[in-house]
Amino acid sequence: MFDKAATYDLFWDSAACEAVDASQRWILTAMQRHGHELVTMLWRILGNEQDVCDAYQTTFLHLAHHDGGRRPRRLKPYLFRTASNAAISMLRRQMAERKMLSNVADTEVDARDPGRDFDARYLAETLRRHLAQLPIHLQDVITLRDLGELSYAEVARALGISVGTARVYRCKAVQLLAARMNPGEEQ
Amino acid sequence: MRLLKHGEKTRSFDEGKARPNACKRLRARLAKSLSRSVGPDARWVRRHIANCPRCRRRLVAIGRVDLALRIVQSQTQPLDLLMRANTAAVRMLNHSLRDAAHERRLDESRPEPSLLQRCRKYENSTVNVAACVAILLLTKAGLFSSFHNARTEGHQAMKQYYATQAGQDLADELFQS
Repeated sequence: MFDKAATYDLFWDSAACEAVDASQRWILTAMQRHGHELVTMLWRILGNEQDVCDAYQTTFLHLAHHDGGRRPRRLKPYLFRTASNAAISMLRRQMAERKMLSNVADTEVDARDPGRDFDARYLAETLRRHLAQLPIHLQDVITLRDLGELSYAEVARALGISVGTARVYRCKAVQLLAARMNPGEEQ
Repeated sequence: MRLLKHGEKTRSFDEGKARPNACKRLRARLAKSLSRSVGPDARWVRRHIANCPRCRRRLVAIGRVDLALRIVQSQTQPLDLLMRANTAAVRMLNHSLRDAAHERRLDESRPEPSLLQRCRKYENSTVNVAACVAILLLTKAGLFSSFHNARTEGHQAMKQYYATQAGQDLADELFQS
């Protein structure tokens, strides 16, 4: 469950509202209403404060410029999907950079070490790495469902698929992750 | 379960629509009974897994993914992260939205050069045409024939001068061509 959001009423009442034009106040309302959930999801995907702030900014920048500054019809799914896409793009970029620095070989060797199964940080990193490599439709579902903690109905609405399809995609995503996270064991 | 008498209808059937709570309860009961009979908790499934290394490996792999997801979910974010993210986003939005109108205008704006600047590309050809026209006019006005006359007369004057100073023979030889 999400932790109870800290209240930042002073922040919202003063500087923020004065700064943004009256016609764009709905963006601040969206930020106030969904900000905590978004930050939590981004933190789970990225695990880095600076990256979270960057992805969060990108999300709201997209929102502000969506369809000439008009409010999307389904705000919450739009926000979560945009944030998830931004975060996954960042993950992929980081992975490409890391690959360029050629540390991949070492990581692959470490993956077979059973002792690392109990290393929480390693497991989380492995999950993130493999999550970014999933097919987009599976990636969207598992990100929104497990890291964004949206219900299957909300996930289905966000992605424009049925609830059943969302469940099937999640199941496939877990199977694929299991196969990729344990390369030597899946036969 | 009570059997219906002939002609009697259930309430939900009678109303033509199912009650959502009843559906939910039914779905939950079905899922529970399905899980008990064919899910991972079923006795026969457990017995199979205990004797099948391949299924055991798969179950362990899926359990590992589940564990990783739970670890990621349980990682706590810094307390001030939301505040910092909001501040940065609002600052960025303020900047972006304030400049958005100007940016849009700039995006849509087209260069508006003056007439002189627009005609500059025809400068060379215009100068050439003007030169041709000037030459034609000068020819028409007889300026070139006047030049020719002046040249011929100057030539004769020089010949005359050499003839008086150096002799007719030398002058003829010099101005022969």
